Amino acid sequence: MIRAAIVDDEELARQILREYLNSEEDVQVIGESTNGFDAVKFVSERKPDLIFLDVQMPKLDGFEVLELIGTDIAVVFVTAYDQYAMKAFDAAAVDYLLKPFDAERFRVAMQRVRRRLGEKMQAVSASELKNAAQPPGQYAQRLVVKDGTRVHVIPVDQLDYAEAQDDYIALHTGGKSYLKQQTITSLSESLDPGRFVRVHRSFLVNLERVRNIEPYTKDTRLAILSNGAQVPVSRAGFVRLKELMGER
Amino acid sequence: MHPLLKSWKHVLQYLSVWTVLGAMLGFMLAVAGHFNLAETVAITAPITIALAVVCLSAWFVARSSPPGSISAWRVRFRMGIAAMFASAVVLAFAHVLAKALNVVFPGLEARFLPAVPVLGGMCWLLYLLSITLHHLWIAMERSKRAELLSRESELKALKAQVNPHFLFNSLNSISALTSVDPARARDMCIRLSDFLRNSLRLGERVSIPFAEELALLTTYLEVEQVRFGQRLRIAQDFDSGCADCDVPPLLVQPLVENAIKHGIATLVDGGEIALTGRRNGQNLRVVVENPFDPDAPATRRTGFGLVSVRNRLEARYGGAARLQIEVGDKTYRVILSLPCGGKEPEHA
Repeated sequence: MIRAAIVDDEELARQILREYLNSEEDVQVIGESTNGFDAVKFVSERKPDLIFLDVQMPKLDGFEVLELIGTDIAVVFVTAYDQYAMKAFDAAAVDYLLKPFDAERFRVAMQRVRRRLGEKMQAVSASELKNAAQPPGQYAQRLVVKDGTRVHVIPVDQLDYAEAQDDYIALHTGGKSYLKQQTITSLSESLDPGRFVRVHRSFLVNLERVRNIEPYTKDTRLAILSNGAQVPVSRAGFVRLKELMGER
Repeated sequence: MHPLLKSWKHVLQYLSVWTVLGAMLGFMLAVAGHFNLAETVAITAPITIALAVVCLSAWFVARSSPPGSISAWRVRFRMGIAAMFASAVVLAFAHVLAKALNVVFPGLEARFLPAVPVLGGMCWLLYLLSITLHHLWIAMERSKRAELLSRESELKALKAQVNPHFLFNSLNSISALTSVDPARARDMCIRLSDFLRNSLRLGERVSIPFAEELALLTTYLEVEQVRFGQRLRIAQDFDSGCADCDVPPLLVQPLVENAIKHGIATLVDGGEIALTGRRNGQNLRVVVENPFDPDAPATRRTGFGLVSVRNRLEARYGGAARLQIEVGDKTYRVILSLPCGGKEPEHA
């Protein structure tokens, strides 16, 4: 039995999915959500095998939800918008249904879902996927982090710095820090390079927070941030930092 | 016919320029031919009028060989030849004139001879100047027309835009309703068609009575109501005087569309869109207010709709219309203020 969840803020949009799903014998709808927050909470509590996900929703959009729930769930996007990079979804989202869609198209999506659930999930990190789906020239406005069943939303201008820790990154903001499963390279790529600098192999700082830079060892320096935090700066990082500071 | 001759005002302006040029010409002829004042006036005035008429023909020369159409040297060559013809005509006229004036002023014809090269040279130069001015004038007219055309086509494109996502989402709602509530599905088809038909029809017009914009808005909201259900609530309060204001079509509808997309749709429980319209003499003021989620990603709130409305107001009214945006903690307010092009209210 495939346990499915429907996430859409419009009642009628959920209605048609419910109707199509009812005629699939091996699928059971275990729940519905009307916004991104609920969806993330529901997924971590009930662990469905499959979710149908709208893109434009209150609280968190479909991309953010996808990023937070990981890829061990089959995701089918259902949206009226066709401009999102479908290429990226070919890699990890199982399918992309454009509203309105007919029963036949829906069955094609379900066949893909069964095939995907049959084999094991591809190991594409959801965060990398989100980066790939971002339109060129546009950078992330905010970062989302899941903490148990809670979701934190961090506007990027409130990010002080980020630090790589094994497979995770620690996002430091206003004296707190949040762990997120993502590489620092992929984080760095999603952010505006004019505002966030990779000052070290394991550190990324918000340029606006840098108060001054002090020598540390022969080759390295320390960036002192406005909240007093100290971030190591490598030689290559210092060159990048100086370039950007010079521009201001 | 030369476009200058279409208006008396322009003809008078043209002649007043020639009065000055004629005075200069008279001075030069008087010096060259040792004429007294009466003789100078008698000979210069007709020649000046003849020149003024001949120089209008430069329009045809300028029009037949606009710069850029053929090589610069060929343009100059043609200009030179045309100017020579023009001065030959004027000189022939002057010759006949001098002969005739000889009766009134004895010896004038003989004294006119040394003035001939001066007159010929002046005619040639003035004619060249006339062609050049005509060239400039034609170029200016052309760029003015091009600007007007591009603005017009831009406005047309802006007006024609019905948001495709609105359409697809509405069709999806209809698709869902067909099995659970066929009557409502049909109803929504009709409303959606009404909205599309009316927005196409109204979009073609330059101005519509505000009442028609409101009717279109109502149809639009009925369609959206089906999609959003209880999440979308509307409060309307319009003065009776607003109805017969003349406004550009589809000016308020995009604002309400924004209020839904960036406001209501970002809220789990939706909210109320408050629409108010006030007529104050010849001024119409429309306010669209909606709640929004301040934590929603910022990119969602900067729509193309506002820019397009602002551009259209600017193109149509210049500084006389305004679009103000007030962003509160949880409410977003757009204030539209524009001249009311319609009839005076009856009890003003």
